[in-house]
Amino acid sequence: MSQTNDASDATSTDQQRKEAYFTASQTQLIWARFRRNRTAMFAGTVLILMIVIGLTAPFLSPYDPTIAGRDKDYQNGAPQIPMFCDHKGCSWRPFLHTLERTRSIKTNFRWVTKVNTDKRRYVQLFATGWEYRLLSFELDMPGKAFDIDIPGFKFTTHLFGIDKGGIHIFGTDAGGKDIFSRTLHAVWTSLAVGTIGVLISFVLALVIGGFSGYFGGTFDGVVQMITDAVRTVPAIPLFMALAAFVPDEWSAEMRFFFISIILGLIGWPTLARRVRTHLLSERNQEYVLAARLCGASPAHVIRHHLLPSFSSYIIVDLVISFPYMVLSETALSFIGLGLKDPVNSLGVMLQNVTKADVLLNYQWYFIPVLFFIALVLAFVFVGDGLRDAADPYSDNR
Amino acid sequence: MLQFAEFILKRAGLAVVTLVIVSFIVFSLMEMVPGNCAERYLAFKNTQGEQITVQDIKAEEARLGLDRPFVVRWGSWLANVFFRGDFGDSCILRVNINQLLGQKMWLSIGICFTALLLAYVIAIPIGIISASSRSPVLNNSLRLLSYLGLAMPNFLLALMIMLFSTVVFGDSLTGLFSKEYRDAPWSVDRIIDFLSRACLPIFILGWSATAFALQTVRALMSDENGKLYVTAARARGIRGGRLLWRYPARHALGPIVNSVGFDLNRVFNELPIVAIILTLTEAGALLLEALARSNDQQLAGAIIFMLTASIVALNFMSDVLLALLDPRVRSGVMGRAQA
Repeated sequence: MSQTNDASDATSTDQQRKEAYFTASQTQLIWARFRRNRTAMFAGTVLILMIVIGLTAPFLSPYDPTIAGRDKDYQNGAPQIPMFCDHKGCSWRPFLHTLERTRSIKTNFRWVTKVNTDKRRYVQLFATGWEYRLLSFELDMPGKAFDIDIPGFKFTTHLFGIDKGGIHIFGTDAGGKDIFSRTLHAVWTSLAVGTIGVLISFVLALVIGGFSGYFGGTFDGVVQMITDAVRTVPAIPLFMALAAFVPDEWSAEMRFFFISIILGLIGWPTLARRVRTHLLSERNQEYVLAARLCGASPAHVIRHHLLPSFSSYIIVDLVISFPYMVLSETALSFIGLGLKDPVNSLGVMLQNVTKADVLLNYQWYFIPVLFFIALVLAFVFVGDGLRDAADPYSDNR
Repeated sequence: MLQFAEFILKRAGLAVVTLVIVSFIVFSLMEMVPGNCAERYLAFKNTQGEQITVQDIKAEEARLGLDRPFVVRWGSWLANVFFRGDFGDSCILRVNINQLLGQKMWLSIGICFTALLLAYVIAIPIGIISASSRSPVLNNSLRLLSYLGLAMPNFLLALMIMLFSTVVFGDSLTGLFSKEYRDAPWSVDRIIDFLSRACLPIFILGWSATAFALQTVRALMSDENGKLYVTAARARGIRGGRLLWRYPARHALGPIVNSVGFDLNRVFNELPIVAIILTLTEAGALLLEALARSNDQQLAGAIIFMLTASIVALNFMSDVLLALLDPRVRSGVMGRAQA
C-alpha cells in the first residue's frame, strides 16, 4: 500500500516538475539553467557586490577621492593594514600605530614619517567624515537651460574611520589621495561609463540592425557594407581620434558624457549585426508565417513574435559587450585622452604608474587593477553563463 | 578557372569599396577637428609677429584648395592616396606624411603581423590538442588563460610585466633599441639587438589575440570532433595526429583563417597604448602624439587609414586563401560551373 503511494507520489511530483518545466516562461527557464552554473552564479554574486560597492562608494570610502580629501602628511604612503595584536598584547578592536612626522638636523631637515609603535589608534565604525550626497545629480552643459541640478541628501557618516590621523588601507598616491576611496569611486565610474555606452550602442544597433534585417534586400546589403567598413577600422585608434576633439576646458562631467557617447557610437556594429542576423533568420520561421497567415499585422509580428524570440540573446550580447566598454574607457583615460583627474577611473589612476619611481617604490598603485580584473571577469563569466542559459539546446550538449 | 578569377575580382572590388567608405569616415573625422590647415599655417606666422587678417586666411585656404566643397576635397585626397600613395603634408610638422611615417609604419605593421603569427603558432596546436584531450587540468587552465586574455587587456599585461621586471631585474625592458643602437644605421648587430628587444612587445601585442584564437580553435575543434565523419575515420583505423590533422582540424581552421583580419584589428587596437607603455617609437606612439599633443589630423587620418587598409588587405587575402584551401568554399566558388 505504502509502496504504491510512494510511486504515485513520485509520479505526481514528476508530473508537477514536468508541468512546471513546460509551462515555465522563458525567463524562468533561463534562470533555472543559469542557477545550475556554479561559476556564473559566483561571478554574478561578485558582480552584484561590485554594483553595490559602486553605488555606496561614498559611504564605504573614508576619504574624499578628490584632491579635497588628500592627506598631506601621508603622501605616497604604503598601505596601512589594521592589526589586532602588537608587542603590547592583543585587542578586539583593530588598530593602527601612530605616525609621527619629524624634521631635525638628523634627517637633514626633511620631513620624515616614523611609526610610533607605542601608541595605538583604534578603527571606528560609522565614523563621521567628509560630506557626500546621495541621489544627487549635477550636469553642467553648455547653456544655462540644460543644466541639471538635483540636490539629493547630504550625509557625513562613513562605514569606517579612525580617531586622529588617517587610515589608508590601499596606501596613498603622490598627492596624498586615498587609493582605497579612489578605487571604489572608480568602480562606479566604470560601471556608469559602460552602462551609458552600452545603452547608446544598443539603441543604435537595434535601429540599424532592425531596419536592415526587416527590410532585407538592397537596403540590407548597403547597410551591411557600411557596418563592415566601420568594423574594420581599429576601434581604439578611432576612439583616440574622436577623444582628441574634446577641448581641454570642458568640465569633468562633460568629458565623462562625451567619452561614454563616443564609446557607444563606435560599439554598435557588432551588436547591429547580431540583431540583423536574428531578425533575418527568424523572419522566415514557420511561427512567423503562421502568425502572418492568421492576419497579424507586421507591427504585431515584430512586437509579439520577433522581439521576444531574440530579446534574451540581446541581453546576453549587452552583458558581453560591457567589459569592452569599460576596458576601452580605461585605455583612453590611461593615455590621457579620456577622463581627467577629478573624475576617478582606473585609467586615470594608472596614468602615472609607468614611472620608474612608482614601479620600484610604490607598487600599491597597482592594487586597483585587481578590482578591475575582478569586475571584467565577473562580467565575462556572467555573460557566458547567460549565453549558455539562454540557449535552449545547451542542455542536450 | 574563370569563376575563380571572377571571385577574386569581386572580392577585390568589395575591398576597394570598403576602403572608400573607411576613407570617407577618416576624412570626415579629419574635417571635424576645429580649425583647418590654413588657420594653422597662419597661426604659426602670427607667432612670428606678423599681422593676420581674415583675407589672409581666405587666400591661404584658396592656395591649399580648402575652399572647395567637402566632396571634392575628399575625392582629391582619395585619388592622391590611391593612385600616388601620397597622404599630403602634416599641417603641424610641415613635413610630407609619407616621409614622416615611412619606416616607422612598416616597422609597426611588421611587429603586429609577427605578433599575430605568434598568436596562431601558439593557439592552433594548443587549441587542437586541448579540444581532443579529456584532461580537466589542461582544459581548465586553458579556459582560465583565455578568460584572462579577455579580462587583462594588453596594456595592463605590459604594465604588469614592467612591474615584475623592474622589481626582479631592475630593468623595465622598454624601447625597441638599446641605447647604443638607437640612431645607428642598420647592421647585423643592430638587427640582433632589435630582435632581442622586440620579443616582449610582440608577445604582449599577441597576448589577447592568442587567448581569443585559442578559445575559438578549441570550440570549433570540439564541435568537429563530435561529428560522424570523424567517428567514421576513426573506425577505419586512422588515429592520433594524422586523424586530427586530416579530418577535423581542416574544417575547424576555416573560420580561423576567415577571422584573421579581425584578429589583426585587435592587435592594432592595442598598438598605440602598448607602444606608449613600452616607449616604442613607432607608428602607434606617433598616432598618439599626432592626436594628443598637437591635434594633427592629417597625420592621424593617414595612420588610421593605413592600419585599416592593411586589415582590409588581409581580409581579402584570407578570403582568397580560404577559397583555395577549403574544398567546401571552393565548390561554392567554382560550383556554378557544373550548375
